[in-house]
Amino acid sequence: MGALDTVINQCKEWAFDLNFTRAKKWKSEEEGRILAGYLPIYFPREIVHAADGLAVGIMGTGDRKQVIKGDAYFQSYICRMPRGIIELALDNNLDDFDGFIFPSICDVIRNLSGMFRILDKGTFVKYLDFPQNFQSHIGGSFYRKEMQHIIDLMCEINGITVTPERLNHSISLFNKNRQMLEHIYDIRQEYPWRLSIVDVYHIIRAGLVIPVEAHNDLLEVICREIEKDTGEPQDRVRVVVSGSFCEQPPIGLIKSIEMAGCYVIDDDFMLGSRWIQGDVDATSGDPLRALSEAYLSQSPFSSSVYDVDNPKEERLAALVRKRNADGVIFAAPSFCDPALLDGPNLQKGCEARNIRYISFQYAENTGQFKVIKEQVGAFSDSIKLWEDEPAEV
Amino acid sequence: MSEAIFTMGIDVGGSYIKGVILNYSGNSELVDKKVEKIRKLNPAVVATELIDYLLEKNNLTYEKDITYLASTGEGEMVQRKTGHFYSMTTHARGGKFLLENAKTVVDMGALYARAIKINDRGKVLDYQMTGQCASGSGQFIENISRYLGLAIEEVGEISLQANDPEIPSGICAVLAETDVINSVSRGIDTANIIKGIHLSIASRIVRLITKLKAESPIILVGGMAKNAGMVEAVKELAAEHKHNYEIVTHPDAIYTGAIGAAIWGGYRYNKLREKEVMQFRTQE
Repeated sequence: MGALDTVINQCKEWAFDLNFTRAKKWKSEEEGRILAGYLPIYFPREIVHAADGLAVGIMGTGDRKQVIKGDAYFQSYICRMPRGIIELALDNNLDDFDGFIFPSICDVIRNLSGMFRILDKGTFVKYLDFPQNFQSHIGGSFYRKEMQHIIDLMCEINGITVTPERLNHSISLFNKNRQMLEHIYDIRQEYPWRLSIVDVYHIIRAGLVIPVEAHNDLLEVICREIEKDTGEPQDRVRVVVSGSFCEQPPIGLIKSIEMAGCYVIDDDFMLGSRWIQGDVDATSGDPLRALSEAYLSQSPFSSSVYDVDNPKEERLAALVRKRNADGVIFAAPSFCDPALLDGPNLQKGCEARNIRYISFQYAENTGQFKVIKEQVGAFSDSIKLWEDEPAEV
Repeated sequence: MSEAIFTMGIDVGGSYIKGVILNYSGNSELVDKKVEKIRKLNPAVVATELIDYLLEKNNLTYEKDITYLASTGEGEMVQRKTGHFYSMTTHARGGKFLLENAKTVVDMGALYARAIKINDRGKVLDYQMTGQCASGSGQFIENISRYLGLAIEEVGEISLQANDPEIPSGICAVLAETDVINSVSRGIDTANIIKGIHLSIASRIVRLITKLKAESPIILVGGMAKNAGMVEAVKELAAEHKHNYEIVTHPDAIYTGAIGAAIWGGYRYNKLREKEVMQFRTQE
């Protein structure tokens, strides 16, 4: 087994470990370490790292756990992800966590934060409100206070003062992490056959449950390995997948998209790990301001961000152009209000720009992919064979 | 005469793997074909062996001679390939290859049946498909023939000898199988039992054709199209419904998906050569 396979297999194991074994082991190795769970989409993990903590992404249970109790907490018309997370909490999978952060994305996540409070999970439960005003002196100032509040909550647990030096060090580690993730996407843009999107998914998801230093080590190996000329290209269409930023699609669905004749060359799975576009300033005397400015000016388009002056459909089209994609697959979770509300506008934007697309919905525990595979297969063929309606074939 | 452009199409179905070699230069010409039953073997291994067999028999090599190897059906079972096409796309094009003026292709496979309306370029315009129910599938006939102690190759001819078909409930394969057992114990002639099964499946296919508002001529393809009794049953029922369709089949009907894949592979080979976006193996 080569170095790449070894790393990928390790990532597969970590990515869906619903007991968070690796994170809990890290915490147990030293006194005063903190585990802070956070939900999608984005959370500035740097501030937890600087406080000698590990920010652990809780992305739901996927198709790896049967949800029974969780269903009692939510109506039938609510997405599936929070049910699994409640189930994890009730089954004590999250007992070693010191706190939980619920970034503002939708009402469901907000209500989930309330449930965690009622269930008395962790020392703190923080609903992190992101600024919707993108001016530094208004939204930026607000966001810095929100981050400082989380730092204070952690300081109450382990007494660690987060100095600018500590925070800059953490920022530089996460900068490196994002650079390498972007490098993987850049290589896949040219040579998507070198690493499947399923492998990429496992690699990124593993990074949510292990220390960033360990993840960076893995990413170095992966970047080195995929720079080698390996694998054989296939005649597939190149697609961007959009809409899967919160509740994650099952692995079988992601695999089905590729098996049906596509290379997924960009996506918003695990979007939080790639949220900040480019580096955050790791040299300033006010790193919280640097993180805040990065959020205000370097965020991607997302359904959770109300950025009216920066139309999402244009940014999606720009991504399609940048990645030289043939089309877009809109894959959104059932009952996901943010994704499904944005869908029609984004699709209209694709039509106006002559970008081909299809759309479908899923749940994290969807088990049947035949229909989706057929839909994607027909989409792929329509691009490959009928793009310019050949006169004779 | 133009230089040969060899392409391959491999169709991995529910029961059989079908493979063809096609010469795509000029008018596409079927060079060779082979079908292999999967049985309980690993489909990936069966597919690889089938490809190797066809290449060796025709003195060709994958690396040097095959410009495009296209999979269809459960394409992930084909490890060496250039590309994959959706099975409806390939059956549409393959149907047109077998019957130049076909307007509708009815694919009667092991797992489901579907009627596909196509245009004069072999493009899918509309389709109707059976749901996830075993009683509309070729696999169902295989099961019944096994219960009756017949080889699948025999059932078509035996069905043609029927004079008083015994039609099962037709709602569900499980119930229909019970019906068949009852029919046997009641001493009903095997030919009439088989014909009844054929008529039951044919009724589903005629419903698909009707719902699709199919246009004539119709070509029946897929594994079940080899079964003369099945083809006859579809024709009979279509006539009963007063459909004035010309319904035909073809000796190579089982290869339709593989043929379509090979043709589209050739088309993509030329297209990609124009675009020069892929480095193909064949040296000019």
